[in-house]
Amino acid sequence: MKENEERDDELPSIPKLDKTIHEPARLMIMAHLFVVESADFLFLQRQTRMTPGNLSAHISKLEDAGYVEITKEFIERKPHTALALTQKGRDAFKQYRRDIKQIAERLPE
Amino acid sequence: MAERVNLKEIERKVYTSYHQDGLIDVSIAFIVLAFGLMMVLDMGWMGWVFAVVSISLYAAAKKTLTVPRIGFVRFATYRVKAMQTLAIGVLSLLMLLGVVAFMQTEEGGTPPWLLFAIENYMLVIGVSVAASFCAVGYTFRIRRVYAYALLTLTMFVTGHFLYYPLHYYLILLGTLILLFGLVMLIRFIRRYPLSTTESTGDSDNEGK
Repeated sequence: MKENEERDDELPSIPKLDKTIHEPARLMIMAHLFVVESADFLFLQRQTRMTPGNLSAHISKLEDAGYVEITKEFIERKPHTALALTQKGRDAFKQYRRDIKQIAERLPE
Repeated sequence: MAERVNLKEIERKVYTSYHQDGLIDVSIAFIVLAFGLMMVLDMGWMGWVFAVVSISLYAAAKKTLTVPRIGFVRFATYRVKAMQTLAIGVLSLLMLLGVVAFMQTEEGGTPPWLLFAIENYMLVIGVSVAASFCAVGYTFRIRRVYAYALLTLTMFVTGHFLYYPLHYYLILLGTLILLFGLVMLIRFIRRYPLSTTESTGDSDNEGK
């Protein structure tokens, strides 16, 4: 009983991971966008090796969360989709990294 | 998970993949070759004209060859800004040295440090070109450009003792880099065929 209480006390100290970012495919997208200013759809597709549909679906989720900003523009009369992390997205990604590091540090060897 | 989010590695990979087209190598080779060939014609100054042309061609080729194949990315500019500051600093220093050299020559003969530089011009040029390559390698995070810097240093230090004319080394260096760049370019074009409209993410079913 006492052991259970102790375990319950410890539980809240484990950080809750952002599930939007935690999904491996979205984590890769976030990581790639974090290291650049912006990238287009094709570049992300080449880097992450996802299918267009899959990538599109994950980007939509990140956009819904307010983490990614999509800008559609025409460059030399060709459609161009630029993707960039929002400030909220950058902050969330930094927080996610801190959380995952904290969890990893607490895990037994 | 921690290994998967190695940001430095991702950043390096992103830069490497964007510059795997060999265009930067071809452009560098074009500039070095232009200087070498123009020196044969005794018009070394024309090398600067070709350098400007080469930079313009690089930008155009990147837009036509690379972007349609692997997409477009805008990198953070802090390294570019650092290099711009460094370039301005180096140019200012060179201008100051020029003024000091002029003043000392006017006062009475060529200063000893200038004589030393003229006598060891192969070393001075070799170090300058190698330093420029290192700056390019650092700015764009392209490791192979450091290898070009090492190759340049080796060739020019050897050249210092062999006494062949300078343009021989420039033409040889330019040819080697050009060959390497062309091989990379051909491999890149074969590896990344032109993308379809669907994969650009601009089709109607893409995004939201």
